[in-house]
Amino acid sequence: MQTDELLINMGPVHPSTHGVLRFKLRMDGEIIKDCQLVLGYLHRGTEKLGEMKTYQQVLPYTDRLDYISAFPNNYCYVKAIEELAGIEVPLRAEYIRVLVMELNRIVNHIVSIGSLLMDLGAATMIMWGFREREKALQLFEMLCGARMTFNYIKPGGVREDLPEGFIPKLNEFLEEMEMRIKDYEQLINSNEIFLMRMNGIGVISAKDAINHGLTGPTLRGSGVNHDLRKLEPYSIYHDLDFKACSRPEGDSYARYMVRIDEMWESLHILRQVVDTMPEAKVISTSKYGVAPMTGVPSTVSTYFPRIFTPPAGEVYTRIEAPKGELGFYIASDGSTKPYRVKIRSPSFCNLTALSGMVKGLKIPDLIAAFGTMDIVLGDVDR
Amino acid sequence: MPGIIKGLIVTLKHVLQIGDRPTVTVQYPYERMKLAPRFRGLHAVDEDACIGCGICDTNCPNSSIKIVKHGTRWYPEVNIGMCMFCGYCVDVCPMNAMKMTGNYELADYTRESLVYGPDKLLFKREVKQ
Amino acid sequence: MTNAYELIINILTALGVYDMILDMFKPSGTEFVLKLIIVVIELAVLFAFVLVTVMFLTWMERKVVAMVQSRYGPMVTGPRGLLQPVMDGVKLIGKEDIVPAKADKFVFNLAPYLAFVPALLVFIPLPFGESLIISDLRVGLLYIIAISALTPISILLAGWASNNKYTLMGAMRAVAQDISYTIPLALAAITVVMFTGSLSTVDIVSAQSGTWFGIIPKWFIFIQPLGFLLFLIASIAEMGRIPFDFQESESELVAGFFTEYSGMKFAMYFLAEYAHLFAVSGILVTIFLGGWNGPVLPGIPVVITSLVYFLLKTYAVVFFAMWLRDTVPRMRIDQLLNIGWKIMIPLALLNLLVTGFLITAGVI
Ligand code: SF4
Ligand code: SF4
Repeated sequence: MQTDELLINMGPVHPSTHGVLRFKLRMDGEIIKDCQLVLGYLHRGTEKLGEMKTYQQVLPYTDRLDYISAFPNNYCYVKAIEELAGIEVPLRAEYIRVLVMELNRIVNHIVSIGSLLMDLGAATMIMWGFREREKALQLFEMLCGARMTFNYIKPGGVREDLPEGFIPKLNEFLEEMEMRIKDYEQLINSNEIFLMRMNGIGVISAKDAINHGLTGPTLRGSGVNHDLRKLEPYSIYHDLDFKACSRPEGDSYARYMVRIDEMWESLHILRQVVDTMPEAKVISTSKYGVAPMTGVPSTVSTYFPRIFTPPAGEVYTRIEAPKGELGFYIASDGSTKPYRVKIRSPSFCNLTALSGMVKGLKIPDLIAAFGTMDIVLGDVDR
Repeated sequence: MPGIIKGLIVTLKHVLQIGDRPTVTVQYPYERMKLAPRFRGLHAVDEDACIGCGICDTNCPNSSIKIVKHGTRWYPEVNIGMCMFCGYCVDVCPMNAMKMTGNYELADYTRESLVYGPDKLLFKREVKQ
Repeated sequence: MTNAYELIINILTALGVYDMILDMFKPSGTEFVLKLIIVVIELAVLFAFVLVTVMFLTWMERKVVAMVQSRYGPMVTGPRGLLQPVMDGVKLIGKEDIVPAKADKFVFNLAPYLAFVPALLVFIPLPFGESLIISDLRVGLLYIIAISALTPISILLAGWASNNKYTLMGAMRAVAQDISYTIPLALAAITVVMFTGSLSTVDIVSAQSGTWFGIIPKWFIFIQPLGFLLFLIASIAEMGRIPFDFQESESELVAGFFTEYSGMKFAMYFLAEYAHLFAVSGILVTIFLGGWNGPVLPGIPVVITSLVYFLLKTYAVVFFAMWLRDTVPRMRIDQLLNIGWKIMIPLALLNLLVTGFLITAGVI
């Protein structure tokens, strides 16, 4: 039968493109023949801004890359600076960093799973997810005063120590979260319709996944057990007991399950961190340290290195952000501003695999596969 | 089918609120959530402590602070439309004059009204007797 | 008493005013005018009932969703947000009525009404209670199935006339879905007709009165569990609700076939959708859940108790549809069609065959 090709423009304003992504779809009826991604609608020039601002001033901008999970962004940038300038970080600060990053990982996966389910038409999960996310955000608010754009991890430590009552509240959250994740699993995991929509959809083989440069749960869903927390333990991860979750199938369901498993692992990590957190100062007293602020300004003025000049050189750091491998490359020429900041964002690299994955599938499959990629457009376009 | 029934059971538990599944939302304009003391909202400047040095201005990543004359002294003026509430101005202030309040309802009709001059930002610290 | 027309006349007679009114028309030989007036009153009551029900259903839907999701739902307008649908209606009327420039204007404007009319017509042979029926058609069930099959026409017109790719895809999906699900729907209903030997809804309901062993009500769900299940799934597909809401599937097709509609015409589709939800639930209750049958309470006229039973059962089914919607994701259109043609129709045919054998053998 002779049929005409249908060109469909999905986005940039579309309910399920998670922001301002645009798909150019060449369709044969409901079957996708070709999928082109058009990016750049949220481009804010963060990398260029990095060359214009001082090292400190760039830090808040990293919050706005992956705004669902901003702590890892903060941390990766700060880690690059620390490596560049050789700043030592007190142990307690590292513990707090890992604590907030793992908390952020849970938040990220909740949002990711929730929006996946919403794209599939089940709005309940995202509401439940946001209910728990709100609790985590309140913890973040207690900690640093902001709910999404934290600007909390600083070179040499963290901005402020844990406030009073934080640990009990965190423990409460961890306890509650366990029951909630069980609820999620009961609602979704064995739902036949969900399985029908996810199994065998958007399959990517381990080889293709590596060639595309996929990282994070998207890669681990293809059976490659690549987790930087295990491979190149940074911060205090070498002291913690956890396992990198992976699944061999490589389809959407595997990617979803990896996220659920990672939430359990994060809970496990958080418990260990809370139990073993040392009592000490949270900020380095070395040359570039940042003195802690204690809530509302005290009467003592605080020392703050307003002019921060790391030695010339370059550094690349990478960490395992919830969405995948996040890397910061910073070149310094010894002045107060970075010479170049390059961000290797996980969302962008993961997105490249999408158009190959969905060829021959249908629009609903595109939505499902795209939902399991876990993209944040702020991270894609930077 | 069994999977769907499992799901139906857990949603029913929410409808009937069995086992710690309460209604959690807040009727926003009528009731509010409690903010953490560290919340980073609208700025406030201590009238007596601020020396108008402009350090907050130079350190603001978005250049949203301008030092303007107010009465006889110089004070910062914050353009909330450009501010990203990073808190740097608070951190860098040598006199601890700048602080951030819990005011987050800052939406407005014009861009001009987003510029908070000293007349709106200044506060007087209570003197301990 | 068999239908609402006679009920009204009986009430008027009981009040002692019927002869008086009739005398007013008799001299001029215009009794048919009186008949007409009564029918119009009947229909007006039905229309008002449907509108109020639809408004209540939208409120209920939000509340059920909210309860599932640990929220309050609408709370501000009226007691517990009960007047929210009124506000929504006011808002929708106030919206600009946009007709796309390249749309086929006549068809575009016509389609919403075509959707709403069948949704109303379905109520005509629906027994709300003992003698609370507009007209007991001898082909009631057939009529209902035929009328519900009209909805896709309106959807197709709307999708085509909007001149938009998303609406067209939504419309195509809706048509494919409705065609493949009307068949198992009809086949499942036919098994019931084999017991009653009549297509009349009143006969079907009265065949379900009484009990076995004094406790189990003689509802067809207990004789025909498979038929019930098939009918339930097919009718949810007919209603076009999650997990089968392909005509809208807002995350794929923006809003499906009514993407381009706004204001009152959008409200029309909204009304039609909820009227349809209620109608289909009512039909399900009538065919499988004993209709208005229930324990007779002494002292209360059976008209009232039967209405209450009917509404209770129907709202239970409606609640189930809403509850299901909040639990499951959406299927994929081809999966749905596969299930429809490859599983449901063979199952329905098998059910029909087995039922036929059993009836012939005299087992049931
Ligand atoms: S607020 Fe602080 S930093 Fe800003 S001008 Fe006043 S004293 Fe200087
Ligand atoms: S909070 Fe940050 S962006 Fe806002 S005025 Fe202060 S330094 Fe500037």
